Amino acid sequence: MKKFDLELTVGLFIIAGMICLGYLSIKLGKMEVIGGKGYDIHALFSDTGGLKSGSPIIIAGVDVGRVKSITLDNYQARVILYLTENVKIQEDAIASIKTKGLIGEKYVEITPGGSEKVIEPGGRIRETQPAVDLEELISNYVFGKI
Amino acid sequence: MNLTYLFRSLMSLLLVLGITAPGLAGEPTEKIRQTTDKILSIVSNSALKDPSKAKERRKLIRSAVDERFDWDEMARRSLATHWAKRTAEERKEFVRLFADLLERTYMKKVEDYSGEKVLYGEETKDGDHARVKIRIVTKKNKDIPVEYRFKKEGNDWLIYDVSIEGVSLVNNYRTQFNSIILQSSYENLVKRLKDKAELK
Repeated sequence: MKKFDLELTVGLFIIAGMICLGYLSIKLGKMEVIGGKGYDIHALFSDTGGLKSGSPIIIAGVDVGRVKSITLDNYQARVILYLTENVKIQEDAIASIKTKGLIGEKYVEITPGGSEKVIEPGGRIRETQPAVDLEELISNYVFGKI
Repeated sequence: MNLTYLFRSLMSLLLVLGITAPGLAGEPTEKIRQTTDKILSIVSNSALKDPSKAKERRKLIRSAVDERFDWDEMARRSLATHWAKRTAEERKEFVRLFADLLERTYMKKVEDYSGEKVLYGEETKDGDHARVKIRIVTKKNKDIPVEYRFKKEGNDWLIYDVSIEGVSLVNNYRTQFNSIILQSSYENLVKRLKDKAELK
C-alpha cells in the first residue's frame, strides 16, 4: 500500500511539473504577444533581408505584433503582419525592416502617418522600405562601382 | 565617403537630367522627365550663370520643382501624428517652412550640377499611386538607385516621397520631427525651422 502511494505521488509530481513547464514555455514563447485579440494586414517589400515569421513588429520601441508569414508574390516579399487589436495603422504609415544592433535579428518598424484614414483588417501598408543590405552599401561606397 | 553628404548631394541630382532612356514611358515617368529637363535647361542657361542672376535662377528652379512636388502631402506625411492637432494656419505655415527647408538643403547641389547622368528605369502603377525608379550615375561611376513616389491629383501626377538607396525622405523627416516635438514642442520645431531660414 505504502509503495503504491509513493509511486502515485511521484507520478503526480512529474505530471504537474510537465504541465508547469508546458505552460511556461507557451507563455514565454512567441505566443505571448498574440495571446490577445488582433488583426492581419500585409505589406510588400522588395527585400526582407532575412526577416522571419515570428519576428516582432515595433512602433516607438514597443512590441505591437508579430510577423505571421512571408511569401513570394510576383518576386516581391508579401509579409503578413499580425497586430494587436487596439493598434491603428494610418494609411500613410511607413513600414521598414530594421536590424537589432548592426547584425542582429530583423524586425518590422512602423512609423505612424498623418492620414485620417486607417488601414482596415486585411488591408495593405503601401509605403515600405526594404532592408538595407549593409555589405552591398559598404562595398559600393568603399570600392565604387565599375 | 560620408553617407549623409552623399545622400544630400545625390538627393539634388534627382532633379537633374543627363541622357534620357529612349522608349515607351508611362505618364509619371514623362512628368518627372519634363521637370528635370526644365531644371536642366535653367541650370545650363549661360544667361543665368552670372552671380547677379542667382536669385532669379533659384526662383525659376524652385517653381519648376513646385510643379512636380506636392508640398502639402509631403509636409503632412512628415509631421505625421502631429498634423491632426494643428490649426489650419499652423498647417499652412508648416507646409511653407517644410518646402523652404528642402529648398535650402538641396538647392546648392542642384546648381552644382556637372553632367551627371540619369537613367530611367521601371515604372509601376498601383491605382492612383505610381513609382518610378531611376539611377543616377556620378562622374566617378557611382550608381545610385532613386525612387520617386507619385500620387495622381486630377490629371496630374505629383511626387509625395523620394527614396535613395531604399531610404525614404518622408520617413527621415518624420522621425526627426517626431523626436523634436516629443522632446520639446511643436512651437520649438517651428522656431528651429524659422531660425535656420534666417541663417540663409
